[in-house]
Amino acid sequence: MAKISPKNVGEAIYRATEGKSGAGLETALKHSAQVLRDKRMLGKSEEVLSVLRDIIDKNTGTVRAKITTAKVMPLGERKKLEGEIKEKYKAQKVISEFFEKAELLGGIRVEVGDEVMDATYKNKLHQLEKFLIQEK
Amino acid sequence: MSNYIVENLRKEIEAFKADVKTEKIGHVMEVFDGIAKVSGLSDIKSSEMVTFPAGQTGVALNLEEDAVGVIILGDFSKIKEGDEVKATGKILEIPVSDSILGRVVNAMGAPIDGKGAIKAGKTYPIEKVAPGVVTRQSVDQPVATGIKAIDAIIPVGRGQRELIIGDRQTGKTALAIDAILNQKGQNMICVYVSIGQKDSKLRKLGARLEAGGAMAYTVIVSAGASEAAAMSYIAPYTGVSIAEYFMDQGKDVLIIYDDLSKHAVAYREISLLLRRPPGREAYPGDVFYLHSRLLERACRRNAKYGGGSITAFPIIETQAGDISAYIPTNVISITDGQIFLETDLFYKGIRPAVNVGSSVSRVGSSAQIKAMKKVAGTLKLDLAQFRELEAFSQFGSDLDESTKKQLERGKRSVEVLKQLQYAPVKTEHQVVTFYALTKGYMDDVPVDKIKAFESGLIEYTERNAKVFYKEVLESKMWTEKGEEQLKKAIADFKSSFTSKS
Repeated sequence: MAKISPKNVGEAIYRATEGKSGAGLETALKHSAQVLRDKRMLGKSEEVLSVLRDIIDKNTGTVRAKITTAKVMPLGERKKLEGEIKEKYKAQKVISEFFEKAELLGGIRVEVGDEVMDATYKNKLHQLEKFLIQEK
Repeated sequence: MSNYIVENLRKEIEAFKADVKTEKIGHVMEVFDGIAKVSGLSDIKSSEMVTFPAGQTGVALNLEEDAVGVIILGDFSKIKEGDEVKATGKILEIPVSDSILGRVVNAMGAPIDGKGAIKAGKTYPIEKVAPGVVTRQSVDQPVATGIKAIDAIIPVGRGQRELIIGDRQTGKTALAIDAILNQKGQNMICVYVSIGQKDSKLRKLGARLEAGGAMAYTVIVSAGASEAAAMSYIAPYTGVSIAEYFMDQGKDVLIIYDDLSKHAVAYREISLLLRRPPGREAYPGDVFYLHSRLLERACRRNAKYGGGSITAFPIIETQAGDISAYIPTNVISITDGQIFLETDLFYKGIRPAVNVGSSVSRVGSSAQIKAMKKVAGTLKLDLAQFRELEAFSQFGSDLDESTKKQLERGKRSVEVLKQLQYAPVKTEHQVVTFYALTKGYMDDVPVDKIKAFESGLIEYTERNAKVFYKEVLESKMWTEKGEEQLKKAIADFKSSFTSKS
């Protein structure tokens, strides 16, 4: 028997609930929860929700970005960066989360899905280390 | 001095340019037994190289719907759940250069012999499609292994794939090492791939090659028994990539895979850990492709494509002589012949313990030199008839003269084919020995004195049949003049030998 993955369940829930509202949506969600329970997949509900979120993001043209800097980023720069991400990924909407990590020393790291652009000082120093120890 | 160091460092740092680019990343979901399940890495290719934060390299093997199965090449104890994994966009590759000759490297091409770093010239991918039909040429140049039984009866040509198969302790590795030792001055680069072997065995083998002066043209690739299965899995591909580097320069290469049984076992381990469905003997379904794609890379290129060649000697260890097991039958069907070594022969004192009846070379005869073909052409048939007669003669004592003669000749043939380990014999010496044997000069020499006769004959003819040797060396065949000289030399030597004994 084929294994049911959280991705399969997420896609099924999305199709079952698509275009519904009110009582219809409530029934569809109730049935979805019952399927998760019957298939003993309640422990994977986080993954199912993540799949659902990804499907909805894809359909609504939403991009989620994780931005990490060493110090707090000024609001103006945040807006500018979000604009650039929006342009690069041709997105309708950008939802960004900002984090501060002093160990990055400086620069910026942007993560969108499984893509990362690391322009932090920490990464540059790491690259310099590799460059200096490589055989020439 | 310190100023000099500071100045150099400053120059190096000034030359450095940080590269900021978008990379594909994933995260480790679980790690076990050298395998990592990674989420993300949506655009990764099969066999693509990935890197872990602690510097380890991995290879993506299983591309699943929501995860990627990665084999970890190196210490996996430092990798933990949640670690970031970066895709490199490159198929696994190893550094190669001419300075790799004489070195012992691991499956990643990194030196492990303590002789310092190897200056890398280029990198070669370890997985490559085998050369196509238009680039190839049929096998027509011999590989002189220096082993009489092989060079005379089961000849191997440059670009051929000849399997060495036999039980444990039958002399498989010894045969391969002898072949490497005999390549001195033969314009051949040798690559020895050790898969899942004990480090002590490798050490002994390396010392033997060093002592024989063979390391100057040899590279050893080692994936030891203590290393992860992933290293054993990639080691033969690393070896053949090194061989291809030299073949691309138009050189002839001899590669030995010792052994592919352990390679298949390592691949089975990886496949089962990756939860691929098991098939016969629990091997995965693609175990045939595992070896066929490797051995297909051994070939002879035509002059238009550089003219180099890779001759492969894969080794397979059988269990209790069972050559009909899964992996032996697979590799037998892939290769261009097999050298079958038998435990019974080994303990009878027939060493190398080559079973001439079961051994075959499908393409090698066209590569055999004319002189050898002339003297050893019927040897295989003679030996087969001898074995049959030997078994038959045990039932009765009344044998006719011709049968007795055939039996006596057979005993001498077996004696001539015996050879000590690490003592390869030059082709021209083999020609002289087989000439004396097949022309009946040894028929009245007692069997226990055949070895002494043979060594004395070579020594004597080298001094007294120079024309014959010159002709065999230069034109690969003798003339009437050379043959006359040899005949006289053999007759002279024989009379002095018989009078002495």
